[in-house]
Amino acid sequence: MIKELKPLSSLAALLGLLTASGLVLAVYYNPWHAFASLGFIEREVNEGWLVQAYHATGTTLLFGLAYLFLFRAMLARGYRAPDDLAWALGVKLLAVLLLAGWLGFVLTGGAAAYWALVRAANGALALSGAAGAIGMWFFGGPAGEGTLARLALFHAVLGVAALAVLAAAYRRLKPKMSPGVCLDHLARFAVLALIFSVLAFFFPHLGQPAVNALPGDPLTLPLGTALPWYLLPLAGIADALPGAWGGIIGVVGAVAVLAALPWLDGSGPEAVRSRWYGVLTWVWGLDVIALGITATARDCPQASLLLALFALWYFFHFLVLVPLVTAMEAK
Amino acid sequence: MMRRFFAPLLALGLVLAGNAQAQDTLSPLHFQSDGPLGGIDKAAAQRGFLVYQTVCAACHAASALHYRDLEALGLTSDQAAGVAAGVKLADGSAATLDSPFKAPAMPASAFGGAVPPDLSSIAAQRPGGAQYIYALLTGYTTAPDGVTMLPGHFYNKAFPGGQVAMPPVLRDNAVTYADGTPATQSQEAADVAEFLTWAADPNLGTRHQIGLRAVIFFTLLSIVAIAARRGGGG
Amino acid sequence: MAETAATEASGPGTESRRGFLTIFTGAAATVAAGSIVWPLLDALNPDAPSEAQARMIVNVADIPENTAKTVQWDGLPIYIRKLTAQQIAAAQAVVTGTLPDPADFAARVNPAYPDYVVVVGLNTGITCALEGNSPADPRGDYDGWLCPCDGSQYDVLGRVRSGPATRNLVIPRFTFINAAQIRLG
Repeated sequence: MIKELKPLSSLAALLGLLTASGLVLAVYYNPWHAFASLGFIEREVNEGWLVQAYHATGTTLLFGLAYLFLFRAMLARGYRAPDDLAWALGVKLLAVLLLAGWLGFVLTGGAAAYWALVRAANGALALSGAAGAIGMWFFGGPAGEGTLARLALFHAVLGVAALAVLAAAYRRLKPKMSPGVCLDHLARFAVLALIFSVLAFFFPHLGQPAVNALPGDPLTLPLGTALPWYLLPLAGIADALPGAWGGIIGVVGAVAVLAALPWLDGSGPEAVRSRWYGVLTWVWGLDVIALGITATARDCPQASLLLALFALWYFFHFLVLVPLVTAMEAK
Repeated sequence: MMRRFFAPLLALGLVLAGNAQAQDTLSPLHFQSDGPLGGIDKAAAQRGFLVYQTVCAACHAASALHYRDLEALGLTSDQAAGVAAGVKLADGSAATLDSPFKAPAMPASAFGGAVPPDLSSIAAQRPGGAQYIYALLTGYTTAPDGVTMLPGHFYNKAFPGGQVAMPPVLRDNAVTYADGTPATQSQEAADVAEFLTWAADPNLGTRHQIGLRAVIFFTLLSIVAIAARRGGGG
Repeated sequence: MAETAATEASGPGTESRRGFLTIFTGAAATVAAGSIVWPLLDALNPDAPSEAQARMIVNVADIPENTAKTVQWDGLPIYIRKLTAQQIAAAQAVVTGTLPDPADFAARVNPAYPDYVVVVGLNTGITCALEGNSPADPRGDYDGWLCPCDGSQYDVLGRVRSGPATRNLVIPRFTFINAAQIRLG
């Protein structure tokens, strides 16, 4: 029980910090002058720079932990019964966090954020039929004045949704509190706070594209626009597939295969360890990192080939290798 | 045990901080704001502000800064108000460091094809930060053979592409420093780079100071909490 | 660390040591939580421009005699008027007992700087910006301010002299820094 709670309490603490700092940022944030208002918060608001660092570094740590816990659960095959519901909640939380994270990045109004928004909005608006209508509803027309106002609202709603998913997880696990558990959590928080301090005070822009320090400008597309580190693997998959539909299918599919993992694993309930499964999962982890790194170097000539290769491996792993290996091992 | 662990850490912090205060910026070139424990050299930044005010401000704005912000560099509020009073456009120390070309807005063609960028965050917006600013301001040379210069452009080995619309503006004794520092061209460039580093990140020094304390505190707390868990609640 | 704790766990001082560690950890954690939350609360205090606006410094040296300068402060139009010597003498000679809202000279201006009158430039009857800052403006019969909305008249010190209004003009909180500058608030 305590083992399951460990990730949950850290995630809850970080999500709480993000909610609190997000509320404070919302007081001063102005979606019509997003970049300038963030500069205002950094320069003119009491400890505004620190509140910003809370939000940015909190995001980095939250995604770091979420990725780490999901990967660990994958390695230990923690997605199978009796933990299948916890896994489903974890994937749901990841999906909510990914969308909230993208929106939060876009809200900064920097050059990289602006062009990420333009790419997404133009892609969505070019779609026909229901998908186009949904895109139109979501972005409210081409990226421009007022787009960020609605995205700020969606960002906040998704933050509440993440809290709700976490609350559902707590309800399922029904934690028991005791002094021992308390001290355990405290030690965990202290280490988390230590990592947090190092990142927030000495590397406040870690994992953010450097060009985001420039204001977004419709007339200038600077070199090196990219997404923050926690979105890069998904961006790589989206870039590997052609067109707007390719991007959507890639992103949705990449998360969907994670959710489908309990059904893709073909082994019976008794099989626990498999050497090949572990090796393959590690290879998949490296593949995700490679996707992220390649996505930052989109301008290189070999990048599209590499991205296609890595994206192919991502899906090949889940759709072919996992069922095959686990089924072989079950016999 | 904890003291044994922290004493070297603290000593290291003090040594780094002490070193940073007593060094000459130019030989070899380095900035006090560099590094994980760096802070702004206020004397250099004040000199840099003088260079900005005398030279750069003829074309460049720094509109995220107010004259009252200069108090963070060690000016008194009266001095900041005095600086603002000396500027034609500024109405009091709450005014921002605006461009003289704000009204009427001048087209790019008036500046040889490139509007002078706002300098508020330039140190954060250019790769290399202070080092790049210094290199740019001291990087004007004659164009190498075979380079055809664009009209109104100057060759600068630090500028991407080599041709910059900004003329070489810093020269020896372009300003007179109140603290007696010789106003060589490279000294002016280094000082203005330090000033712009501060302008881009006014909280840099505070951030590093609080950060050092937070890291020490949470290291301590981690050790104590882990010890309490092992020894106690288990 | 683990070995030390394990060997000491059998010793006599274990209980008190454990209690001390727990209390110490708890106290340190409370400090940590406080210092993490504090910036979030402090960020909601007035930001730097609001802070500067709340204690605005106005230069009064550039106001010509018999003229008033208008500044916006706290959402109110503040009139700062420089009096002439004759106006000061005339205002001091008024018998205060006969006024609708009696107030003597010393109650309306700073005795150290008697030539500056600082008032909120809103009529105290119907709320309405007063006229009379420039010598060319209509100023009413008392050389002060005139309300264009209900015709109330004020003298140079901002005391109501006639009209529907019954109270003198409000004097904002302000202090003289020196002869050339005042700080509002």
